[in-house]
Order: sequence, then structure tokens, then C-alpha cells
Amino acid sequence: MATTRRQGTGTAAGRGPAALVARLPRPHRTSAPLFAWLMVLPTVVVLLAVTIYPLIYSLRESFYRIELSFSPIPHWVGLQNYVDAFTHDPRFWPAMGRSFYLVGLGVAIELILGFALALVLNRLGRARTVVTALLLVPVMIAPVAVAIEGVVIFNNSWGPLDYLLAQIGVHGPVWLGDRSVALNSILLADVWQWTPFVAIIIAAGLRTLPEEQYEAAAVDGAGRWQLFRTMTLPLLQPLIIVTVLIRAMDIFKTFDTIYVMTGGGPGSATETASFYTYLQGLQFFSFGYAAAISYIQLIVITVVATLLVRRMRKGLG
Amino acid sequence: MPLKAMIAARKSIPVPKHLPNFHGQTVTVMGDGGHNMNVFGFWMPEWKKAGINLKAIEVPFADVYSKEKAEFIAGTSAVDLVVFYPAYIGDFASNGYLLPLDSYIKKDNPHLNDVITAFRKLYLGWAGHTYALPEDGDVHIFIYRKDLLNNPAEQKAFKAKYHKKLTVPKTWGDYLRVGQFFTRRAGQKLAGKTLTRPFYGCAEYGQRGFSWAWFADRWASSGQVYFDRNMKPEIDSPQAIAALRNMVAAVKTCSPPDVLNFGYDQLRDSLLKKQTFMVVQWTDVPKKGADSSQSEVAGKLGYALLPGTMVGGKLITRSMMPVGRVLAITKNSKHADAAYFMAKYISDTVSRFNVSTPLDGLDPYRYSQLKPQYYKEFKPADARSYLATVKGVLEHGFPEIYIPGAAQYEDALDLAVNKAISGQEDPAKALHDAANAWNDITDKLDRKHQTELWRNALKQYKSVGLIK
Repeated sequence: MATTRRQGTGTAAGRGPAALVARLPRPHRTSAPLFAWLMVLPTVVVLLAVTIYPLIYSLRESFYRIELSFSPIPHWVGLQNYVDAFTHDPRFWPAMGRSFYLVGLGVAIELILGFALALVLNRLGRARTVVTALLLVPVMIAPVAVAIEGVVIFNNSWGPLDYLLAQIGVHGPVWLGDRSVALNSILLADVWQWTPFVAIIIAAGLRTLPEEQYEAAAVDGAGRWQLFRTMTLPLLQPLIIVTVLIRAMDIFKTFDTIYVMTGGGPGSATETASFYTYLQGLQFFSFGYAAAISYIQLIVITVVATLLVRRMRKGLG
Repeated sequence: MPLKAMIAARKSIPVPKHLPNFHGQTVTVMGDGGHNMNVFGFWMPEWKKAGINLKAIEVPFADVYSKEKAEFIAGTSAVDLVVFYPAYIGDFASNGYLLPLDSYIKKDNPHLNDVITAFRKLYLGWAGHTYALPEDGDVHIFIYRKDLLNNPAEQKAFKAKYHKKLTVPKTWGDYLRVGQFFTRRAGQKLAGKTLTRPFYGCAEYGQRGFSWAWFADRWASSGQVYFDRNMKPEIDSPQAIAALRNMVAAVKTCSPPDVLNFGYDQLRDSLLKKQTFMVVQWTDVPKKGADSSQSEVAGKLGYALLPGTMVGGKLITRSMMPVGRVLAITKNSKHADAAYFMAKYISDTVSRFNVSTPLDGLDPYRYSQLKPQYYKEFKPADARSYLATVKGVLEHGFPEIYIPGAAQYEDALDLAVNKAISGQEDPAKALHDAANAWNDITDKLDRKHQTELWRNALKQYKSVGLIK
């Protein structure tokens, strides 16, 4: 490496970053790897402490029966917690189904609305900055505050939503108390909060697209839809995939909104996998089982995300 | 509520001249947030005079168990005094999280013999030791709009429709009938006035968390209890299924459409804001109902025993005793003396004020608190009626599950009740699933040990007359 740098210095003729690096005192350059390790060490330590260690610790816990409401002594059960989740727990898989319903519908709606909003945003000219700042407001609100707002907005007796609907002669559904509607009300709150995030990311991506290629394609007679399908979508592919992944993982973990707005009810209508895991771990203190179902979720979401990325690459490309 | 307002509210009670001095110790209290934490604010001048700095950690109502348990498991000494629901005393005391109070009680008497027997025996002790002092005695009471019940036009209309006199419902069947009778659409008349919005005959606690207790009010009056002596669940018996069907009918035919989103606040407000005719609620709601700053129906409420079930030609009524609050000192507390002083002060010295003010949700738990003159928000006759009813519902109280795992058993039952009232499952299937879930929980926690603990709990229930 040192040789390469010295060669670089010669060709740069004393100018540019390579020349600056070459001018560093010799002892510093030879100890650079150690120095670099020292610089990243705090991050590595923090990562080991707050991510890797808990990950390994919880994996170990998932092989034990730990019922802290009864006894602090763990019992080795091997894969039994995993077997129970697959064969003996009537609540876990329906909860997973609800999580995937939220992810599937939520990501699709946020992506479509976000794309539309981004296209509008990029045509606003000078007003774009102000509108972008306003769009950021829901993103900056804590999910628990959004949920409390949701409880007020969706209240059937005195909530503003039902009032406004009544003004146009529409009788609103029982937003949080009807099992066929409640999960969609949670979804609505999520869409309200996170669509602007998707819009802002995509708007930023749209601004980086090369105008010349569009002009050339337009000269060749390409229509708007053709331009969008054959150029915009493929060019934005990496951005869309990242956005979808971030939102999918985020929606899968949704907890605050459900906790505040419905508590998992009515019935089990809004009991998602993350909410159920919370119940097992922090309400019932069945730590071993909670760890096992967390790992199952991790594996399932990783597999689904990988398949999704592959499918999107193929579709968009 | 601002601290100044809390201190102003208790101004009729002077700060004692002589108080112990704890020399600037900081006592950290953890309990459910909201109006029930006001009790620590009322007595702030006393804490200051006694050299105690108060640090309060408020946690959500439904999370008291999980937050306090997490603190106990972590084994820190960050919390000195915990407020919790006594159903968890078996869990907390048997795991060694709490400090036994026997020696403190000997030194500074909190007059536990004045505590209503059921609360004294169920709330405070475990395995022969006292671990907690009472703060709130919870039991369900039946509350209705007496102005509407006694209205001649309504009386006449009821008689014409059902060929019997309109009275306070005696059975859960009557409850449905009266509820359906008073359910009206906007534009219809109620007590001679045209309604501008719908009015409902009844309302239930429909939210996940405690809806099971409103089912248990109905079911317990059949004479059954959670498990038999061998830990076989009784919650899927024909009587239990009939009770749940009654609750489902109440939700579907005479409750507000969003009743499945009703917790304590919404259920209270539905009565106090003139939306419903009758509710079953905790005994603090009449205090708030009598306070015209919080209620639109002050002076218009009547109180009664809960409806019951005819068993062998005899009317049996039971009132669930869900929640309740006790004060206990954590095992690792470094300020146990100061914490005991606070607990004893709240539980005993100033308890009359705490349970009679409408500014908190605490309910009477001492015999000496059951005197009408303390309940100043009520008209004297209403106060007498309220307290007589409180005594009555306590005589017919029905306890929670006082063994470890209570949170899991109650959650499984609550899920079943909630599935049934939301129409997700038929009551019979929902309760059958809950019974299976209870068996799984018992097996998971150790059936032999749980059976032993349950038999002890049954003995205790019987000794205080809660199980006949």
C-alpha cells in the first residue's frame, strides 16, 4: 500500500489528496492500521454490547423454558419452544398473518401514494422546500403520539373524522371497535405517518435522473407511460428496493400504534406478531418462548425480504 | 393535575406538627399514572416536612405488572415504594421481591384490623407474612340514571311494552330487557325530550385487558369459580357460556357502537356525559358522578347491587373485585423506613380523604371510611345510598385469581371474552379455547405446584366468604 501511495504522489506532482497523504510523517503512515482499529474500536464495542451479545444471549434463551412469573430458574428444553410455536400455539401464526397483511398492504399503499406525491412535489418549483418541510412533520412525530391522535380522530362519539364524514352524509364505520376495520385503521395511521417519508426519498431520487436521456427518448417518440415504465422505474430501482425494505421491516415491527389504539383487540383482530411477542416476553415473562418466536420472525422476514428483493430486481429491471 | 391544585384540595387537613425526619432521603415510587398518583401529590407538604424528596415513576394502567416485574428482575434499588394490583402479590412476594412489613407494623401500627376483611385477607399477605398496606379497595357496583328510571312516561311505556313495572334490573336477563328498552335513536323521545343524538341502555368494558371482569360479574353469580380443586378450568361450563352470551347480547343490542373500544374512561364518561342509562363500574365512579365539575348527571345517579342469576330459586349476585391497589416496599430499597412512613400515612393516617375525594379513583377499603359525612360531593341521602351499596357489593365480592401466572390466565380469558363480544368467535368455542389455554399455562408453570397454590387460595376465598 505504501508503495502505491508513493507512486501516486509522483504522478500527482505534489497536488491532490494522494499527495497530501504522501506528505504525512512516516511513523503515522506505518501505524495507520492500528490507529484505524483504535478509531473503530468504540463502535465495535458498542455493537458487540448492544447488538451481537443480546442476539447470541436471546438465541441461547430460546432453548430454555424461562417462566419468570413462577421461578427465576431456567430449564433446558432444546428446540421445544420452536416446536411449540409451530404445533401448539393457536395465536402465533394468525398474528404473523396480520403482520404480513400490514406489511403487504402498507408498503404497497405507501409506495404508490409516495410515488404520486413525489411526482407532484418535483413539479412545485419554489414551493417545494416549504411543502417538503411540511411533509416531514408526520415523520418526525413519535409513533405513540400518532397513536394517541389516532384514538381521538377515530373516536366514533366525538372524533373529528366521523364528524366530517357526517357533514357529507357518510356514516363512518366503528374504526377501532369493529374487528373487520380495526387493523385497517392501524394501517391508515401508518400510511398517514410514513407516506411522506417514501415521497421525500423518491422525490430526491427523481431529481438525480439524467434529463438528456429523457429528452432523447421523447424525441424518439416515447410516451409518458413508456418513459415511466422503461426509464424511471429501472433507474430508481435501487432506491425503491431500499425504501420498500426499510418500510417493510418497520411495519413488521409496528407496536406503539397497536398498543395505544387497540391493545390487540377487538378480539385478536390487531394482535400482530410483534405485539404477541411483547405479551409473551413483557406481560407473561415467558422469556424463552418470546425469544424463540422472535427468532422465527427474524428468519421468516429475512427470507421474505430476500425473495422480495429478487422479485423486484427482476420486475423493475 | 397540577401539584398546586392537589395541595389546595387537601387544605382542610393541616400538616401534622410532629413528623419524623428522614434528612433529605429520596423515595422513588412506581405506580399506575393518572388520577391515582394524585394521592402522592396531596401530601407533598408532609413529605417535605419529613425530609423526603419524592420521585414518582408513572407507568400505564395495563403495564404495572410488566414494568414493576422488569424492575424486580433487574434487581436494582432504583424503586423504593411500589403501587400494584394485589392479584400480583403471590408473584411478587413468593419471588422475594418485597420486604416483609411485619416488624414495621409492630413499630408503627397501620390499623389493619380496620381494613375490610376481604381486602385484609386477600390483598396484603403471602405465606403468613404481611407485604403490603392497602391503598384502594376495588369492587364493581351497579350505577344507573334514577331520574330516567323514575320518570312517569318511561314507567308507563315500559309497563305497556313488558307488562311489568320498570325497576332496577334484578337478573342479567332483566338487565338486557331494561337496556334494550332505554336504547333510542336520535329524534326519538327520552323522558319526554327529543334526543339529538342516540342514547344507549347500557355499556360494557369492551377493550382488551379487563373485559373479562365484566363477563365474570355475570358468570360468578352462577356459583362457579375459576378452577375446581384439581385445577380443572370451569370457565367453559354451560353457565359460563350463558353468561358470555348475555354479555354479547348487551354489546350487540343496547351498547354504543364503539363499545369495544371502551375502557374505564370511556365507560365512565358514557354515563356521566348522558350517553347511557346504566353501567357496571368501579366504586369510584359515583364519586365523580356526584361532582358537577366532572359530571352532567350529578344528583341523578342511583346505585344498586349487580344483577344476578337465579340458582335453585334463589337470586345470587356477585361483584368482581378487579384491580385494587396496595403499597409495598421493595426488597432492595435503601430508604425502607421513609417508604414505610409514606405508605402508612397514605394507607391509614389520611386515607379518609384519599377515598372520598373525586380527584382520584381510590375506593374505600376500611370500615371507618364508610361514613356519609366524609363524602361531601354527594347529597346526604345519596352518600348513604352509595355507602350502603358499597357494603352490599363487598359482601357479594368475587376475587381475582390470586396465584402466580394470574396475568397469563386473565389475558387468555380476556381474549376469549373479547373474541366473543366482537363476533370473532362463538362464546362456546372462545371459552373452550380459553380453558385449553389455561390448562397449557398450568402445565407450563408446574401443575402440581399451581394446584397446591390454588387450593390455598380457595381456602382463603372461603375464609373471607367470597366463595360460598
